[in-house]
Amino acid sequence: MSLFIRKYKPGVVYNTQILWRLNSTTAETQKQGEEEEEFRVLDILQKKTRIQKKAARRADIQPDRSEKMPTDQNWGNVWPGPRSFHPSSVPLPIRQGYVPKGQAPPGKKANAELMKIPNFLHLTPPVIKTQCEAIKPFCTEWPKLLNSEEAIEKHYPVEVITSDYCHASPTIRNPLARIVTMRVKLSDLKLDSRARDKFLRLVGDKYDEKTDLVTFTADRCPVRKQNLDYVNYLLTACYHESWTVEDWEKEKCLEDMEYYDFDMHPSKKNLVNWFFMSNNKENNLSDDEIKSFDTSSIPNGVEYKNAVSELFNEGENVTTLKNYDTAVRKLLGLPEKKVVD
Amino acid sequence: MNTPTILKLVQPLNILSKCSPVFASQFHTSSALCRVVSGKYRITKKRDRPLTYEMANPPHYIAHRKSWNSWNTSSLKDGLRKSETAVEDEFIRRFINGTWHGLVCSEVIIKRQFNHIRIAAIIRRAVSPTKMYFLIGYTEELLSTWIQCPVTLELQTVDSYKDVVFKYI
Repeated sequence: MSLFIRKYKPGVVYNTQILWRLNSTTAETQKQGEEEEEFRVLDILQKKTRIQKKAARRADIQPDRSEKMPTDQNWGNVWPGPRSFHPSSVPLPIRQGYVPKGQAPPGKKANAELMKIPNFLHLTPPVIKTQCEAIKPFCTEWPKLLNSEEAIEKHYPVEVITSDYCHASPTIRNPLARIVTMRVKLSDLKLDSRARDKFLRLVGDKYDEKTDLVTFTADRCPVRKQNLDYVNYLLTACYHESWTVEDWEKEKCLEDMEYYDFDMHPSKKNLVNWFFMSNNKENNLSDDEIKSFDTSSIPNGVEYKNAVSELFNEGENVTTLKNYDTAVRKLLGLPEKKVVD
Repeated sequence: MNTPTILKLVQPLNILSKCSPVFASQFHTSSALCRVVSGKYRITKKRDRPLTYEMANPPHYIAHRKSWNSWNTSSLKDGLRKSETAVEDEFIRRFINGTWHGLVCSEVIIKRQFNHIRIAAIIRRAVSPTKMYFLIGYTEELLSTWIQCPVTLELQTVDSYKDVVFKYI
């Protein structure tokens, strides 16, 4: 007893209570003790101590970086490049995942789905702006005269199309990148009617009538440069070949023509003769002069010419025959066809 | 009895497949192996089997409720290096699971950009940070030596497996 007193000398209330408890052999003191405080429960499993130990071990883990971020920070410095999502760096309450109705989707921490999807946190609008500003000194101004599609087409008639491939692999080469396509408008090439005809025969199905484009595609060489050279060679060779006239080409006569040319046929001669006779003029034109005679000087002559050419080139059908009918009536000054119901 | 006829049927096909040119992408027509049970988990009696979000969604929910674990252009139409990429990915997965033994809490996510391989995973904080830093450097160094590509590890750490548990069945 005396020992205890000496040990807990400071005389705090708690100590005196313990004293009381130690001393409580008599019934009186026990009653008093129960009123003041309950007995401590014997803790066999000692759960409390274990939890304390666990907490102490995790003390070295830093709090999230996102919690310490100021609101006016430069986000480009926090997330400078492409990177998988990391919850402690992103100060956004993001959630992702499919859950039954009424539940909240999984949060950003320990969420593998957020790590899977590609994010664009490194390409926020301010970052893009700064990067654009940084590369601006290396850019040249767009030529002012090339302000429209038409101007570009006029000054750069040859169009070269190649494809670059961007893919995830240790090599940057893609065999498809070798393919070169060159397009040029046929009307941009300086060709007369004979050379144009020969050019079209040389290129074959590479010419598209609807768009008036000649398209050369090369993929036979392993490198793009070689294919580009080859395509250039093709265009040059075709162009110059179409201008050369071989001896045997002169042997082509009217029967060999693949289309009906009004100026070359006797119809033209008949028309011109009829025109001079009906106007009581003297007709002493040679064959070549008749061929080069301008049809538009004859009233309704162009219409007649078109109608005849159409009739021979497209063949007889309701439209061409009807056109021919009206053209002839106009040319000869006959009344219009009466529609009999 | 039937074997000779089968052989006859099979042989011309093999010859055909040998002679015909190998196209960039061939149509895959075989049925999925063990379609009913693969990638799915049975409910236990006590309802105490922990599942991550990845495990909770069966394979047919890929691209609907969960996304792919490998991101690359090889799996696109006419992609290059299909088989090489698949084998490399499998190798990386096994290497990570073995190197970070018992620490990987999620699937190993492999993303490829150009020649850069980014590997993401959720790791348990069961080893000291020093060891973790060593393992990161070790993994990156060895993988980049083998695959001949820069490899980056992008890890997220959790306290325990329980953090990644989505539900119990």
